[in-house]
Amino acid sequence: MASDPKSRLDLYALSFRLPILVWQALFFVGPLAFMLAMSFFDVKNYRMVETFELKAWERMLTRGYVWDSYFLTLGRAALAALVASLVAFPAAWLLAFRASETQRRWAIFLLVIPFFTSYLVRTFSWLVILAESGVVNAGLGAFGLGPYTMLNTGFGTLVGYLTLVLPLVLILQTVTLAHIDPRLPAAARNLGCPPGRVIWEVVLPLAKTGLVVAALFAFILSFGDFVAPYYLGGSKPPTLPILIIDTTKSGQQWPRAAVVAVMMMLTLFAIAFASIAFAYRKRASK
Amino acid sequence: MSGAGKAAAGLWALRIWAALVFVFVFAPIFFSVIFSFNSARFPTIPLESFTLHWYQTIFADPDVWDAALNSVIVSSCTAVLATALGFCTAYTDYRYRFRGQGAYLALVLLPPTIPLIIMALAMLAWLSKIGASGQIWSIVAAHTVLTAPFAMAVIRLRLNQIDPSLEAAAWNLGASQWRAMRWVILPFARPAIVSALCLTAAVSFDEFAVAWFVSGLNKTVPVLILEIVTGNIDPQVNAIGTLVFGVSITLVALAQILLAARLSRSAA
Amino acid sequence: MTQRNKAAPFAATRRQALKLGGAVALSAPFVGRAWASTTEINMLAWYGHGEPDIVGAFEEANNVKFVPKYYAGGDNMLGLIAQSPPGTYDVILSDAEFVQQLDAAGYIEPLDAADYPLDDMLYPDFQKFPGHWSDDTLMSMMVRFGHLGVSYNTTAVSAEEAESYACFWKPELKGKVGHFDWHLPTLGQMSLYNGNGAGLWDLDDAAWAKVQETTMSLRPQVGGFFDFGGTFNGLKNGEMLAMVGIGDWITGILEKDGAPVASVIPKEGGIQWTESYCIGKGSEKADLVKTFIQYMLSPEGQVKSAQMAAYPGNIVTKGGFELLGEVDPKEAARTHQLPGDPMNPITLIDTGRIHYRDIPRQQSLEDWNDFWSEYKNA
Repeated sequence: MASDPKSRLDLYALSFRLPILVWQALFFVGPLAFMLAMSFFDVKNYRMVETFELKAWERMLTRGYVWDSYFLTLGRAALAALVASLVAFPAAWLLAFRASETQRRWAIFLLVIPFFTSYLVRTFSWLVILAESGVVNAGLGAFGLGPYTMLNTGFGTLVGYLTLVLPLVLILQTVTLAHIDPRLPAAARNLGCPPGRVIWEVVLPLAKTGLVVAALFAFILSFGDFVAPYYLGGSKPPTLPILIIDTTKSGQQWPRAAVVAVMMMLTLFAIAFASIAFAYRKRASK
Repeated sequence: MSGAGKAAAGLWALRIWAALVFVFVFAPIFFSVIFSFNSARFPTIPLESFTLHWYQTIFADPDVWDAALNSVIVSSCTAVLATALGFCTAYTDYRYRFRGQGAYLALVLLPPTIPLIIMALAMLAWLSKIGASGQIWSIVAAHTVLTAPFAMAVIRLRLNQIDPSLEAAAWNLGASQWRAMRWVILPFARPAIVSALCLTAAVSFDEFAVAWFVSGLNKTVPVLILEIVTGNIDPQVNAIGTLVFGVSITLVALAQILLAARLSRSAA
Repeated sequence: MTQRNKAAPFAATRRQALKLGGAVALSAPFVGRAWASTTEINMLAWYGHGEPDIVGAFEEANNVKFVPKYYAGGDNMLGLIAQSPPGTYDVILSDAEFVQQLDAAGYIEPLDAADYPLDDMLYPDFQKFPGHWSDDTLMSMMVRFGHLGVSYNTTAVSAEEAESYACFWKPELKGKVGHFDWHLPTLGQMSLYNGNGAGLWDLDDAAWAKVQETTMSLRPQVGGFFDFGGTFNGLKNGEMLAMVGIGDWITGILEKDGAPVASVIPKEGGIQWTESYCIGKGSEKADLVKTFIQYMLSPEGQVKSAQMAAYPGNIVTKGGFELLGEVDPKEAARTHQLPGDPMNPITLIDTGRIHYRDIPRQQSLEDWNDFWSEYKNA
């Protein structure tokens, strides 16, 4: 062999390496770069004019409601990530440490099902379940409770976000915990360590990366979702994704929508980098 | 309470909690199926009578058939393209070491982390700009970007299991790289390729945000659902959802079975 | 059609395709119409206008197939046309107040007035509807209309209370007042509540500031902002007890379904929505579209529009008015479309209680839109 097959660059190598680069350049980098450019365009008579102006940026960044919406979306998505992580953790614990390999595989198979079931249809279903005359209130009514208003509230939005992210978070947490040697927490218990400290000082540090990644995905998905806040939250008030849709609908204000989208991307990148740095930090120092 | 008793109680609490989590996850699916057979125009409880009316309505609606056809075309084309791209990328990462490999992989794996609504906005603006929006293959192009990372991940895992000396042995026996690819790598990766096809098809079949923005007049099934939910909100949504559920589950189950076969074969 | 052939080369997924194909084959009789080689007519309209209950009979008789794209609100409509290549839409259903904008932007073809039953219109205004004529050329043909007022749940709001927009501020309705998510109808109603009457769209700075103030004071009452489907659902399941910016076009459907809801025109006056058909600029199927518009204005088409599954609209021709009374007296009575009914929609217009919806005269649509975003986020 003339050269090391691991670094040789010939027609063969290129024909496997290049396709994805071309495709991503055309349909991934291209669109995102154009969107960034678009945020500097202008709109006249419902038509976009390609120029370089800061109009859309000035407009959006000086509007109080844009910032209100920004922090609201940030807060709600963070809450969804937190709640999803806390709700999933005990179940993941059970599946990882107290279930057989077969049971665990079945559980994960079940959790994959909703992932491939129309999220819109599931949201529509919640509309009926959570209504004041709906299934939950009928159930609570049997105990003399309620009815409670759950739709068109922050709670409704949270239920929608959880519908979207909970299965994923649970799968990721389960896989993470299952990789921890079950003898470690058991040994700590036998040495007299109370359960709370076992979780906090033995399991959490070992599982940190996986747990953070799961929460990060929950955050990203909730941050970008328009269905839950619109249909279950009554867009009251609208989150950033709803703002994007509203802005494109009303008079072709695409540059302004692009501004919101760029704001969202920058925020996401910042948060993703911060949490990944956090996830790997302690490990590196050990 | 004794320590063992406490532990047992704790275990039961965990089990009940996990069961509640599963109830939460499956409740909307369950009720959606129920409401698809319920005669009420605006679904609520108590249930009215059993009916197939909503299924008859969608079966008789040519728009639903058009959407179904569009969805089949989009998801199968997406599956083939995304799997092909995913395979090439996975193979590149498996076989070669080169400068910028990290950036290369990041570029490939990044799309699923971008919110769909942003991808939708960017795609539509870009495709309109290059004169390619509102066509069925606009959706295919976008969906391929979104799903190729999944195909890449599945196939890359499979390639991990290959014995690196196999390919080298084929070369030493005089096979060209292309022939080694054809007779060694591809057969080995086949189960992963098939699961990648199913997985990417299923993801594409259910995606609505990007499809909604770029589809123009070529609606796919999820876009039609979105239209009914924003428009005339009626249990047709549940009926379509139940059918789509069936199709998706078939694809996922198929992928799962092939995956299981692969695991047992590689274990043997 | 060419797109469909593209499926063939992808043999690798043939098995999946066959599987679905098998399911499809079982329902072949229904599919015939969808996949036969028919002429496709691209339609841009509010939700429901391209559904089988409206266009089905026409499709069958003329071997055509409507491909609808639905929008909500005139701004949304203009945006959708602007981002599509010219000639994309063959037929456009526009709100009357946006016809002038469509014309100004060059999105629509002129019509030949002689093609349409203008002499048969129920009301003189309908023959020369504001904004529908460019000098002496007809640009758009009015096809249906309806009235917006106070829509409410009859168990929560009394008929007397509903006689004024003031009922939206009723303390018991806190968190239970819903909005149809479009600025024009709501801000119009707020303007009427402020006593602007016929000048509701022609607001100077002070009057516009007052409208904003009035609207903002309603915000604590608001339970949500809804699209078409959400509005239906909210009123039906009792989450919302009153709705701003809608009328019988929503509550009519729910009433028929037995929900305790109603719409009235309050004493401050109501707003009329008007829908008109236009032929898209550059359409190659203008003749077919003309036939379709004629069909929708025929007595048969008018009755279909009055009975439309998505949302009912009032009849605009004398022929349609008569036919509805004959074939569906119940719906005619429910919507007061009977001769001599004191609440007859035409009578309401004639007595000055109804104002045609318009776009803001002294502000831009953008100003109104912008305020609407601010209001939603308040």
